[in-house]
Amino acid sequence: MSIEAASSTPLQVVLVEDDAAFQDAFRTALAAAPDLSIASVAATATEARALLAGRPADVLVVDLGLPDGSGVDVIREAHARWPACAIMVATTFADERHVIASIEAGASGYLLKDSPLPTIAEDIRVLHGGGSPISPRIARQVLMRFRPDERPAQEAETVERSSVPSLSEREKETLQLITRGFSFDEIAELMGVSRNTVLTFVRRIYAKLEVRSKTEAVFEARAHGLL
Amino acid sequence: MVSSRPSVTARPWFPWAAWILAGLLALAVAFVIESRAGGARITAARMTIADTVGYQPPPATVPSNLQASGRTVVMPHAPAPLWAPTAETAPQRIATRVTWFSLQVPPLPDDGRQLYLYVPRWKSDGTLAIYADGQLIHQSHANLQWNGSNEPLLISLPRTEVSHPPRTLDVRLQHVRGIGGAFSSVWIGNYRQLAPRYAIREILQVQLSSFSSFAFLATGVFALFVWLSRRGEPIYLLYFMTSVVVFLRMLHTFVGVHPLVVSDAWFGWITVISPYWMIVVLHLFVTELHGRRQPLLTGVALLNGGFWTIATLPGLLDPTLLSAPVYANLLILGLIVAFNGVRQSIRFRSRDALLLSAWCFVTVLSGVYDLALQQNIVSIESVFISNFTGVGFTVLFWYIMFSRYIEALETATRAKADLARRLTQREAELTASHQRLREIENRELLHQERQRLMQDMHDGLGSTLVTALRAFEGDRAADLDAVALLRGCIDDLKLTIDSMEPVETDLLLLLATLRFRLQPRLEASGLKLTWDAGEVPPLEWLDQRHALHILRILQETFANILKHAEAREVALSVRTEDGHVLVRVRDDGRGFDPALPVTGRGLANQRRRAEAIGGRVIWEPAPAGACLLLMLPVRKTVTKDG
Repeated sequence: MSIEAASSTPLQVVLVEDDAAFQDAFRTALAAAPDLSIASVAATATEARALLAGRPADVLVVDLGLPDGSGVDVIREAHARWPACAIMVATTFADERHVIASIEAGASGYLLKDSPLPTIAEDIRVLHGGGSPISPRIARQVLMRFRPDERPAQEAETVERSSVPSLSEREKETLQLITRGFSFDEIAELMGVSRNTVLTFVRRIYAKLEVRSKTEAVFEARAHGLL
Repeated sequence: MVSSRPSVTARPWFPWAAWILAGLLALAVAFVIESRAGGARITAARMTIADTVGYQPPPATVPSNLQASGRTVVMPHAPAPLWAPTAETAPQRIATRVTWFSLQVPPLPDDGRQLYLYVPRWKSDGTLAIYADGQLIHQSHANLQWNGSNEPLLISLPRTEVSHPPRTLDVRLQHVRGIGGAFSSVWIGNYRQLAPRYAIREILQVQLSSFSSFAFLATGVFALFVWLSRRGEPIYLLYFMTSVVVFLRMLHTFVGVHPLVVSDAWFGWITVISPYWMIVVLHLFVTELHGRRQPLLTGVALLNGGFWTIATLPGLLDPTLLSAPVYANLLILGLIVAFNGVRQSIRFRSRDALLLSAWCFVTVLSGVYDLALQQNIVSIESVFISNFTGVGFTVLFWYIMFSRYIEALETATRAKADLARRLTQREAELTASHQRLREIENRELLHQERQRLMQDMHDGLGSTLVTALRAFEGDRAADLDAVALLRGCIDDLKLTIDSMEPVETDLLLLLATLRFRLQPRLEASGLKLTWDAGEVPPLEWLDQRHALHILRILQETFANILKHAEAREVALSVRTEDGHVLVRVRDDGRGFDPALPVTGRGLANQRRRAEAIGGRVIWEPAPAGACLLLMLPVRKTVTKDG
């Protein structure tokens, strides 16, 4: 499952985390991986913003519960400033509410804080290589969000709604298989595609989720007369 | 005035003031018209009397011998009638008298204009004939006694090519000897001069009582229909009866100019006796208003009225002739009932009853005046006041019904408001009780949740941590695989959290979550997991409590496999068969004997959990390794344990 560290220069990783213990664990995990290097560590949202003004990193790991603000805002800002950067949210439980909020802000995966140290390094590599993890519950939540709106929309609204991305049949099928517990490899086999294609589906689903949340925000703002 | 009722209108005096003002205004208008009227009034006459028996038609011309005889009288002339004239009832045998009044007409302008004779009142109690210049020009043609003498006369004098204003007028009255024979002064003039006088008297004396009697009767019929649909309220029947009796009583004021459909005897009986009936029904009505029965007085009034009613029946005693004693008794009874009504109304605080009783009192007193007029004690050109008190009754009864109607409407409005208020109150109570119930429910829910988690932690996380704690305390930490132990705790915790998320009847999602949690450990141990998730119908009973039990059963199974089985592969399959969902976990390890005490505790736990959610765990025999089967019902009745 590992992605080869082909590049000679190690991936630059930035960590935004206020918990010293996890910082240490993280450092240890990456110290053992020659292809990964810690560019910098920020303990607060303010520090993180300062970092964002600097040189873009390859991977950004953000904890949501920062002392001076939400990590979701940091993710959103990072996604805007460093579009090429792979962002992941650090979480203990991978609970869908926090993870989906992060993905909508621009994250493309999550990192389980209690993972064994080698797994942490591996997860970072996978994410940077284009593979996004997705839990069954998150898959289900995403399916529900993309369920066609049942209430009859007005004509003008329908036109605007068409700009909201919808899931393709293959993407839906992928999500449904995930909710039934199948792994990426099993899904690839069941659907007769490569594992990479499945990973691409997931990445695309995350991207659509982000676009959809932005469009929704515009709708909401219009509905409330803010735009 | 006693007024116990809170305002029927905001200003209760206003309608009364309006009524009084309207009455005064009408009177003022009448006086103005009367004062502007003209015509010549003749008050001097020569009266000639001749006794007769029975009634004879008047002669065509005035007898010539009349010119010389008689004595001079002043008009109006009214001989004092006898109180008990005669017992003879047959018209052809009754003792009668012819009274002639000869009048000299003052010189009038001979301009060929139509002249009229206006007679305010004639009290013949028999027949009337009027002559101009000796020629008969007018005669009564109706009944003898009830002959419309209440109605004023406006007679047009004959007008021919040769006619001039008459020089003499003669009036012939033939009447029962001892009563009648009274005649008012007369007016002569053209229509413009006399019509106002005639019209005012006609309106006051005839039209007013006629109109009000009919109107009262009409509302009485309405009340009768109200009573027919509301038998429990006799007041409406009494209203109807009052209106009928008052109508009967007032009849004589506006009929009689033309022949009546009933005989004088029957009409007289109705007219004279109806006041008794009035007293009785008014007494009952007032009683109904103030609500206190008086059986004794009611009985007396009924007996008294009943006695006269029967005594004066035509053929027994002639009520016309007996009118004086009948009226005297009536006066006493009326005073007693009216006085009693006033007293009772004040005692029992009924304003309507008081008004009515007071008006009865006024009517009785006006009856005294009318009796005096009847007996020629006051000027016969006066007006019968009870005509107006009759109108007053109509107005009063209307007012009482109006009040009741308004009160009923207000009661209905109040009832509606009251109902709305009570509804609001009840709604608030319901909301509050609902709120309380929800709070209790929430508390209960929290309590259950706490119990569930405590039970779970006691069995798993808690006991593991306590074991670890004791090991560390006893310096036996080296014996422990601390990392594995803590990972186990974190996994426990994650599954606990997963069990708190709703899975919405989706067992596969629950199992997928389990796999998601276990995957890192399975991968770390190099164990290959085959996932064979078949179709599963929605499980309606799958709530958080059930979810945690299922997760724990399978977690235990996987933990055992990892710990003891030395397996290389494990396969999980889900099937639905015969109303059961079958979850099988099969490994290719060493297998075990479920009966051994070493493994016993964990297995017992699994069995207990499965039973708690209405399922079963079975260790199926396998050629190699072990196979656990978890059977869950697709549908089940709710169990209370767990």
